[in-house]
Amino acid sequence: MFDTISMLVNAFGPSGRENRVAEVVTQMIKDKVDEISSDAMGNLIAVKKGSGKKIMLAAHMDEIGLIITTIDDKGFLRFGTVGGVLPLISLGQRVVFENGLTGVVWYEESIESMKDAKIDKMYIDIGAKTREQARELVEIGDMAVFEGRPVEQNGLIISKALDDRVGCAILAELARRCPATDNEIYYVFTTQEEVGLRGARTAAYAIRPDLAIAIDVTRTGDTPKSKPGAVSLGEGPAIKVKDNSVIAHPRIRERLVDCARENGIPFQFEVVDKGGTDAGSIHITAGGIPSGGVSIPTRFIHSASEIVDIKDVENAARLLEAFIKF
Amino acid sequence: MECRDLLKKLCSINAVIGREDAAAQAISGILSDYCDEVRVDAFYNVIGLRKGQGENPRNVLVSAHYDQIGLIVTGIDENGFLRFTNMGGVDPKTLAAMEVTVHGRRDLHGVIGSKPPHLIPPEDSDKPVKLEDMLIDIGYGAEQARELVSVGDVVSFRFPVLELKNNRMAGRSMDNRSSVAALVEMLKELERIRHRDNVYAVATVQEESGLVGAFMTSWNLKPDLAIAIDVCHGDMPDAPSDESFPLGKGVAIAVGPILSRKHTRACIKLARQEKIPYQIDAEEKDTGTEAAVYSSALEGIPTLLLSIPAKYMHTAVEMVSLDDIGAAARLAARYIAFRDELDQEGDSND
Repeated sequence: MFDTISMLVNAFGPSGRENRVAEVVTQMIKDKVDEISSDAMGNLIAVKKGSGKKIMLAAHMDEIGLIITTIDDKGFLRFGTVGGVLPLISLGQRVVFENGLTGVVWYEESIESMKDAKIDKMYIDIGAKTREQARELVEIGDMAVFEGRPVEQNGLIISKALDDRVGCAILAELARRCPATDNEIYYVFTTQEEVGLRGARTAAYAIRPDLAIAIDVTRTGDTPKSKPGAVSLGEGPAIKVKDNSVIAHPRIRERLVDCARENGIPFQFEVVDKGGTDAGSIHITAGGIPSGGVSIPTRFIHSASEIVDIKDVENAARLLEAFIKF
Repeated sequence: MECRDLLKKLCSINAVIGREDAAAQAISGILSDYCDEVRVDAFYNVIGLRKGQGENPRNVLVSAHYDQIGLIVTGIDENGFLRFTNMGGVDPKTLAAMEVTVHGRRDLHGVIGSKPPHLIPPEDSDKPVKLEDMLIDIGYGAEQARELVSVGDVVSFRFPVLELKNNRMAGRSMDNRSSVAALVEMLKELERIRHRDNVYAVATVQEESGLVGAFMTSWNLKPDLAIAIDVCHGDMPDAPSDESFPLGKGVAIAVGPILSRKHTRACIKLARQEKIPYQIDAEEKDTGTEAAVYSSALEGIPTLLLSIPAKYMHTAVEMVSLDDIGAAARLAARYIAFRDELDQEGDSND
């Protein structure tokens, strides 16, 4: 599982530029599925044919990133954000562009307080001395992502882009296992989740599944002075009750609970106010698609050092394998 | 059933956002008395059909959402107190000392605790209590509480329906059971009128969390005309006069860019002709109601929005007037039946 996750997180793929991730996924699963194709939004849709229910499993390929808006005459890059990038945790980060160029995010040192370190007071230094030199390497509209190579330690994985390559890894693993089932399984690797659950919408419209599960990350409440009530690392995958984009269909949530209990898989419930998942756009598509979610408890979401517990990842794969067989 | 008793019955039903499965049968039973057929879809939208009696009937959708705001359990602490967060737009300062029902393994009576004034340090006495600092007390210790309640269980407010002077009723869930009552009263009215068109009377789900039921309903029914019924703000002290409407002065007919100009003008004309009390509600944005979804669904559905003024919205003491419910019902029914006979002179085709 760590190797699968490593290959996926190492691929460059901010929202709208997911093609490299799609290539990695395609290589991983193309021999194990009946059909694999991309749609106009860049979603990668792999199908394992069957005569039963059409089940859509969705994990998004895109990661958050930065986008160049202007280049000043000294060669410094001003940027906007792609998805939910927090200004303070971007400071001092190394970022990487699609062509492999590295930059460093820093701030205008004239600001009086770090509270004023907004994105518009920050810049990326790529070591260029002039605008012309910078423009030989990058152009306005180019995107960068955080650098943060994957590390396995104490049963945990630390990396950038676990949101949501960990979900992609679970789907890829599941596809490779070829679970015996009559149901028709759609492994859908979606695009542009971080900027408004966009890819999942068109994919669900095209597939019209009978039901759908989004596999994504959820924040934990197990770090010093974090909000109580949220899930903890290592205590099992989280079965979604609600987030800000969807209330899980009660029958799907119950079925997931039954699958977990019958197979002795630990689980937690996810009840959160903030954040959304692909299920948010899927469930209101084409007259309504009953949808739910399985989420991986994750620390420090949207940073260069997200952390998951490998047991939770493996248990999520087991849970989904049991679920799609019903 | 009289409108007064119907509203009381509707308000006694629990359908916290996303858990309408608990209430769909009850709503279905109420609609079935006045419909040719009633079905419940996969998301618990309750869809009643009253068939038209004319040639080439068109399909008219009239919807009122039946979900209600509430709370959801997020944790159970070591003393058996329940942590919670809101389902829909709940104002924390209205929650202290509220009676609730926790819909756990079985329904449990509970209260939201509030620290007595004697124990609050003077420097904190003016500070509002935050939602995350409130707890539900069901009287059980941790072990029993965990047996009966699970994270993710929903919580509803307990408040009896009060009958006040002047045909006014107060209680929780008047948003939007007063509109469901109008839907039923409209069906009753239609029993007395011959109407050409098929009328789909739909009680929709999850309006309070993103107009969810309206997305499904518009797609599945593909109506030629959609009429959304919802509540608008009742007039109360300090309320901005352009966004609030006096109770008992009639149904509010919305006028605005997303609403069909042709149908809205015709509807106002009909209200005047039939002497149905009405008020004009200028909605410069998307209205925040199901009308927003209908107007841009499919190829675009011509949409009307009728509202019932409700004071103290999103509290347990929401107040409406039965007279306004009656006006909304009469106007919807008569518009459906008589819209083709209205003098359209001078109206453009938009």
